[in-house]
Amino acid sequence: MKTLMHFLIYLTIAGLVILLAIILGDYGTWYFAWLLGTVMLVLISAAGAALLDAQEEDEGRRRD
Amino acid sequence: MIDPMVVELSRWQFAATALYHFLFVPLTLGLSFLLAAMETVYVTTGRTIYRDMAQFWGKLFLINFALGVATGLTMEFQFGTNWSFYSSFVGDIFGAPLAIEGLMAFFMESTFVGLMVFGWARLSKAQHLAVTYLVALASNLSAVWILVANGFMQDPQGALFNPDTMRMELASFGELIFSHDAQSKFVHTSIAGFVTAAVFVCGVSAYYMLRGRHLAIAKRSFRMAALFGVLSSAGVITLGDALGFVGAHAHPSKLVAMEGLWEYEEPPVGFNVIAIPNEEEMQNDYALRIPYLTSLLVTRSLHDPVPSADTLIERADERIRSGIEAVTALKALQDDPDDTEARARFEAHQDDLGYGFLVGFYAQDQDPALATEADIQRAARDAIPNMAIVFWSFRVMVVSGLLMLAFFTLAVIFTLRNDVHRQRAFLRFSLLMIPVPFIACEAGWLVAEVGRQPWTVYEVLPTWMSVSTHSVNHLIFSLAGFVLLYSIFIAIEMYLMVKFIRQGPTEHGHATAVAAK
Repeated sequence: MKTLMHFLIYLTIAGLVILLAIILGDYGTWYFAWLLGTVMLVLISAAGAALLDAQEEDEGRRRD
Repeated sequence: MIDPMVVELSRWQFAATALYHFLFVPLTLGLSFLLAAMETVYVTTGRTIYRDMAQFWGKLFLINFALGVATGLTMEFQFGTNWSFYSSFVGDIFGAPLAIEGLMAFFMESTFVGLMVFGWARLSKAQHLAVTYLVALASNLSAVWILVANGFMQDPQGALFNPDTMRMELASFGELIFSHDAQSKFVHTSIAGFVTAAVFVCGVSAYYMLRGRHLAIAKRSFRMAALFGVLSSAGVITLGDALGFVGAHAHPSKLVAMEGLWEYEEPPVGFNVIAIPNEEEMQNDYALRIPYLTSLLVTRSLHDPVPSADTLIERADERIRSGIEAVTALKALQDDPDDTEARARFEAHQDDLGYGFLVGFYAQDQDPALATEADIQRAARDAIPNMAIVFWSFRVMVVSGLLMLAFFTLAVIFTLRNDVHRQRAFLRFSLLMIPVPFIACEAGWLVAEVGRQPWTVYEVLPTWMSVSTHSVNHLIFSLAGFVLLYSIFIAIEMYLMVKFIRQGPTEHGHATAVAAK
């Protein structure tokens, strides 16, 4: 039951996202580009931090 | 009768408050998403250092946010106090996005800012992260609605003038919020805020690295901001170019001023890299040009015509004459709404009504019907904004944008090699870069707003008609009061920022320590 509920919630979210993408894609292409671009900026920035952690751990291991 | 000095002082007052306010806004827009990125790493990796980072930068965000709110509130009141005819004339359209901004975005932002600051111990990690994202989203949603309102002033879409009520009425909410000007302006402004925040975080992190303090936090903050900044600055430049392309079609008089184009030239038209615009002679006293570039930037072709001041003045002259007909017909309709001849005459000329209003400023008794040939020519000439201000502000913005792209490119190279903390010259340069995005944002604002003159709503309502009928003394007093008060706000912001930056972040563990679940 819990899995079904999760499935329905995620399905609803996916449906809303697709609807938003269709509306914004048709009428608000700039807004849509901003949404995608901002998500990308946040993820790349976060990935950069994770990469720095990995680089420092690697350097630490080499020093040891 | 409206005193020209009242118009000037009202403009100065709004410009001064907006310039002050716009010192705080870009940092809020960008820092909120950088906080969200830092917290995302904390929640996904469990490393406490990212929570310390989010808490430290969150403190600086809060100082900036509070002062941004304090300086922004008075601007909305100014529409009513200093721009009452404007508020009455376009209130149906302009009021809607402003109200939505207050009720939806600002309330959401303010509520979640409280949860973000005080909720660290009370909310779960995921809940707090959701709150931080909502703060970032709400800050930027706030900008959406403000720029929808501003977009209407630059390129009035979705509204019609009703001669019976003497007001503009909203015809299509969709056209208003999806107008290309509003959309492109929002994206450009928001991403400019991202760049501002990235430069700020890099600069402050550089300060710590130069002093050998909080190295782990400084290196991570620098890395995240550098990546955030390099992509944002590339985005802001390309979006700025796209905004210029949209603006060239919607608002040619601004484009002409940005590019310093006085006389019509057969395409392809060269780009004035540097020029000294001479307003009296209507020419550039000196110009250094790159061939073909303006045509490519503005029309994306080497054959399409590019607007120039002389052709726009000629067009304005024709539209003023047509606009005078519209104003006279409108007066007849006010006297007798059933006058079918006057209604037909008004409908034939209503597209030029704004130009009819424009010439009133120069005409005897401010009555367009009494405008002389000289008045018409003067009004047509003044349909072009102050070229020197727009031209140079545009160049300051562009050069700053390119400088920031170069800065972030180097920053990314150094940080990816993980030796930025050893590049002392570059770290000093990073500190010096902190004011650059703020200057660029202010210059961009000047391009947008001075470039819209002599209109508050482009080709619909001239600035001179929009003001309230205050006395000059009243405006001098309130302008001086605002400048004094806002200067104190800036001093408070600087004091608090410097104080908390010197204090530095509170660290709760080693960079690689994984927090207990």
